[in-house]
Amino acid sequence: MSDNSKQISTETANSIQIEAKAKRREARQLLLISTVSVLVFLCLWELAVRAGWIDSKYLCAPTMVVETFLQKLTDPKPDGAVLGVHIITSLRLVLVGYLTAVIIGVPLGLIMGYYHTFDKLVSPIFEIVRPIPPIAWIPLSIIWLGVGTTAKAFIIFLAAFVPCVINSYTGVKLTPVVYLNVAKTSGASNWEVFWTVSRNYAMPLAFTGIQVALGNAWSTLVASELLAATAGLGYMIQQGRSLVRPDVIIVGMLTIGVIGAILTTLLSKLENHVVKWRSRA
Amino acid sequence: MKKNQIKTRDMLLSALSILGLIAVWFLVSNSKPDFFPTPMATIERLIRLIEKPVMKISILGHVLASLKRVVLALIAAIILGVGIGLFMGWNKKVRAAINPILMALRPIPPIAWIPLIILLFGIGEFPKVLLVFIGAFFPIVMNTMSGVALVEDMYLKVGKIYKANTAQMLRHVVFPAAMPAILAGIKIAISSGWMVVVAAEMLSSKSGLGFLINRGRDSYDVALIMVAMILIGVVGALLSAVFTLIERKLCGWMSKE
Amino acid sequence: MDEQRVVKVHLENISKSFASRKMIFEAVNHVTIDVYKNEFLVLLGPGQCGKTVLLNMVSGLETPTEGKVEFIDSDATDLGFVFQKTAVFPWKTVMENVEMPLELKGVPKAERRERAQYLIDLVGLNGFENSLPKQLSGGMKQRVGIARAYCNNPQVLLMDEPFGALDAQTRYQMEEEILRIWEQEKRTVIFVTNNIEEAVYLADRIIVLSACPATVKEVYDIALPRPRDYVDTEFLRIREAIEANTDLAL
Repeated sequence: MSDNSKQISTETANSIQIEAKAKRREARQLLLISTVSVLVFLCLWELAVRAGWIDSKYLCAPTMVVETFLQKLTDPKPDGAVLGVHIITSLRLVLVGYLTAVIIGVPLGLIMGYYHTFDKLVSPIFEIVRPIPPIAWIPLSIIWLGVGTTAKAFIIFLAAFVPCVINSYTGVKLTPVVYLNVAKTSGASNWEVFWTVSRNYAMPLAFTGIQVALGNAWSTLVASELLAATAGLGYMIQQGRSLVRPDVIIVGMLTIGVIGAILTTLLSKLENHVVKWRSRA
Repeated sequence: MKKNQIKTRDMLLSALSILGLIAVWFLVSNSKPDFFPTPMATIERLIRLIEKPVMKISILGHVLASLKRVVLALIAAIILGVGIGLFMGWNKKVRAAINPILMALRPIPPIAWIPLIILLFGIGEFPKVLLVFIGAFFPIVMNTMSGVALVEDMYLKVGKIYKANTAQMLRHVVFPAAMPAILAGIKIAISSGWMVVVAAEMLSSKSGLGFLINRGRDSYDVALIMVAMILIGVVGALLSAVFTLIERKLCGWMSKE
Repeated sequence: MDEQRVVKVHLENISKSFASRKMIFEAVNHVTIDVYKNEFLVLLGPGQCGKTVLLNMVSGLETPTEGKVEFIDSDATDLGFVFQKTAVFPWKTVMENVEMPLELKGVPKAERRERAQYLIDLVGLNGFENSLPKQLSGGMKQRVGIARAYCNNPQVLLMDEPFGALDAQTRYQMEEEILRIWEQEKRTVIFVTNNIEEAVYLADRIIVLSACPATVKEVYDIALPRPRDYVDTEFLRIREAIEANTDLAL
């Protein structure tokens, strides 16, 4: 028996190899399925337009989308600006509103979570404002702040602000009492307890809020640009609609999607960097 | 005794906070009532709205118009989202086939679909419901999928030991285990759907709360905008409160942790 | 006991290895065990070794890389399983949990309810039929697990460290309980644990397994009369003998 324990028999080796092969085969198979599925989707789409099942006036084929995309890289027609300008306009706007929201929202949420009196004083206002979707603020903020950048940045700020505050707040509230007591019994002042324990403990949840806020900010940006803008990705797709150019709309939509995804990825990279202590379950 | 004292103090603080909000509103709005109607003017506008319909639709009618769109879209999103999500979570091949397309579409905010949907389907009732559906479908399908894929192995083992077939496995083990995740998805879908319906109505509609906001903007009736916003907030809050009740009913078995 | 040792389950030279990227992990290595009818067999081994894997192969959840499991006079469908942590479904009531194996078999409601009620009474949960698991303590949940394992009247019961997650007090209580239930409803039990005291308290026979990969190291027949006493000199002697004879890092 001890002989056997040191050496793997050929039978075992064989069946292990078979198992490993099966696994690799399955992975290849899944990849194939994904590829085929995407190709079928694109072909059906192309076919639907080419065969005239869908009027090409209202929906364009994927090849056309690629063409328009390449053209939009350098050509400001038909919506007034090249793609790059739209992207930069939108990004600048979203970053202003979003960063302001994070910078104000996260500390506010942390403090609300830690200081009871402050919490009771601020929470009710928050609960009243919270259920109103940021988009509903658009007309009011345009009346108050004009059609310029300020109004749009304000709406984006609102959209991002709420999740930042709420998640930071919840994070502090969920700090286990044990940790607080450890800090208190080792003689930390109230502020020190907050800074060293609660703030750290709340960080992962606060980051979830920051992530949600980014998604909110990005989609609110599109909404505000749809309603009032002269450049930006939302404006681009709105123009596409007025000019009946589905290709422009789809290029705009995909760009919005891709940039949103890139921003989200960057943020989660940053999160992994900042919140190292959290175990990835 | 001490607890009671804290409670009264908290209530006082909350009341103080709301009173403060109203006071600030008063002070700011008093200087430019056209630009920013006072609380009184807003309430008056609400009463006038109840008495005098806009576009021949009573205020309740507008609320119901928005609600109807959201509810229809939600039902469709729940049926399709839970169904597809269940299959995607359960079967790797189905997931491999559908996931890439979903992943490509998911980062596009539902609002960015508005121009294309209007171009394709015009400005009737269907495109609005479709838009809300897009907003509601993704959170439901994603949550259902991950809920099903993350069912605890031990529960699956119990099913296997007792030789459950696939239908039994889904009914007795997978579906109930994924229920909390599914409901969380629906909860996100409700608030997302409510936001999208407002946006869709603001862009093209002749009824609904989003339409009221837009009407207020077009006729420079700021009080109407505020009334509509408040209503949107109240109905949205009610929607999520009702759902929380349903959630508690369906997932009462969950232990609080 | 010795005169009627009828083999119930036979493990023939079983091995199990897992392959991951370029690494081969051996969990079980050439284990041959006979499990006798209606005996309380304890598999005792250190924490991370392959004893759970061994049990999973008996149950058919995993297939051995080498060797085979034979059931004599019954088959692998004739099993009850009590899991490590409480694998009681939190969304089902006590009654629904216990009757589940029969429900899956398509046994009519009245019939399976009757059987489940008998078992709920047997494990001492009378009055909790309609409670949800979240309303039960850890020990009570494991009672539900035991009742469920008995439900489709299996000939062989597999228990995978069922009391590992319980506090010491409850654990002693449950050890007593499981013996009472077993005396009343005799079955072949294969019980896995890493606790020597628990093994000596429960077992007719202890098979000590080595650390990874698991191999059979030693077999002890425990002839002490039940109920056993943890501080009885004979009990302690056996316990120390096993402890001395094994390198269990417990």
